[in-house]
Amino acid sequence: MNDNAINVENLVKYFDGRCVLDGIYLKVPRGCIYGLLGRNGIGKTTMIRILLGLESPTRGQTSMLGIDSTRLSAKVRGRIGCVAEGHNLIQNYKVSRLIKLCKDLSVRWNNEFFEHLIETFRLPIDRRIKDLSMGMRAQLNLALAMATEPELLILDDPTLGLDTVARRQFLELAIELIQQQERTILFCSHILSDVERIADRVGVLAAGKLVVDCRLEELKRRIKKLQVIFPDKAPENIYITEIINQQVHDREMVLTVANWNRRKQTILDTFKPSSCTEVPMSLEDIFIECTKPAQELIQTGVQEIQNA
Amino acid sequence: MLKMLMLIKREIYDHIAYFLGAIIFSMIIVIITLSATHRSDNHDAPELAVALSFPVIIILIIGFTSMGISQMYADKNKRISAFLLTLPVTRGRILAARIITGILAIVTLFVPLIITTIILYGLLVPPVPVIKGMIFDIFATIILTAIACYCIGLQTGWMTGRILPPLAGLILTFIFASIILIKGFWPQVWLLLIIFIIASVVRIRQKFMKTPL
Repeated sequence: MNDNAINVENLVKYFDGRCVLDGIYLKVPRGCIYGLLGRNGIGKTTMIRILLGLESPTRGQTSMLGIDSTRLSAKVRGRIGCVAEGHNLIQNYKVSRLIKLCKDLSVRWNNEFFEHLIETFRLPIDRRIKDLSMGMRAQLNLALAMATEPELLILDDPTLGLDTVARRQFLELAIELIQQQERTILFCSHILSDVERIADRVGVLAAGKLVVDCRLEELKRRIKKLQVIFPDKAPENIYITEIINQQVHDREMVLTVANWNRRKQTILDTFKPSSCTEVPMSLEDIFIECTKPAQELIQTGVQEIQNA
Repeated sequence: MLKMLMLIKREIYDHIAYFLGAIIFSMIIVIITLSATHRSDNHDAPELAVALSFPVIIILIIGFTSMGISQMYADKNKRISAFLLTLPVTRGRILAARIITGILAIVTLFVPLIITTIILYGLLVPPVPVIKGMIFDIFATIILTAIACYCIGLQTGWMTGRILPPLAGLILTFIFASIILIKGFWPQVWLLLIIFIIASVVRIRQKFMKTPL
């Protein structure tokens, strides 16, 4: 059996001559919660749409649960749950009718769990989808996807439109779901604290490339932000490789570096800094550093964070 | 198989107006036919039949073309297939269910008419093979025309343009109507219609399977 729930090989996608995805390689192991991050319009949703077979790639191959995305059978689709961005439910249906449709078409349906979700979210089943608020639609979409007990759950910005309480409820549910054996979640979100809370592996898309792909703790361990003060003016180049970001203000230099080690520390020491302090970084800080506009330095730095 | 039935049920429910329209329209024609047969000594009956046939054909053409357009346009606009594909369903099955639903609407319209005609033929008309053959030819041509119009509707509804595709669909529909008027209900016309239907279904399938949803 293939150990990866999701496999993406050399994925390239062009829209009207514009390259959105530029040779993406991604493997999501079974049982993993993978947080896919990236700025708006960077191609996260496109990648998910290609994975689901809603869009065809310009080049490359994608597969889910060992099956090519362009050839996903109904049976395989039954093992995959999905919450799409914008919660595209059938707008003119009543909630009860949509539930019935999903129930009738599903391979598996955990009614007890679904009822529990409907009660938790307090969803009105007699209203039309178009009359529901964005948050309610998101909750309904989540409940429908989770009730099928999918082996692989794809969540494209699932907490979009949810209030704080509902978002917390969703995260608790996602954790509950992952605790069940062999469940895999691919999770896109702009709320990085959510991703930090539940993801055990993260990927960052920037400029069409997957610039980060490693375990969350590994990412935090390997990226360091240093505030270095020099006795005189800070040097313009300190000849350290894998610099993600570097800002110089007179005597102060703020340096974000990948794979900080003793050798790099020795190189920095040759410039005789007055002080060198490590600045704690959250996932949000790392994300901002990694997705800053493309510079040569950034590219060489972040490419080293892959496949850790 | 059960999932397919669910998809067909969904399509029927979403386009129930067309089924109700087909039933009502069929009943009206049956009532008019029975009433005309009852007053067969009335000299106005043939004129009435001729007068009725044109609006009937036009309503049929418009009805089934619009059903095809409505099915595809609603799907594209409301992103129904994009949602259905998050369930254990494939594009092929969605399209198959849609086309079967269209055929069912055509069957809903024509079955009462065929049954009425067979009964009246058995009761009133002397058993002349020529007449029997003529009735078969007429029904076969009209049913094939209805399917062809439905296919035009499916293609038109899936296109993105707002003016050209409906215009092209309309022109194509009236070309068919003209061919039938000129050539009559003959096997050559059937052949043309069958080729058109097969080509249309192949084209719709090709586009539906490849288009981003």
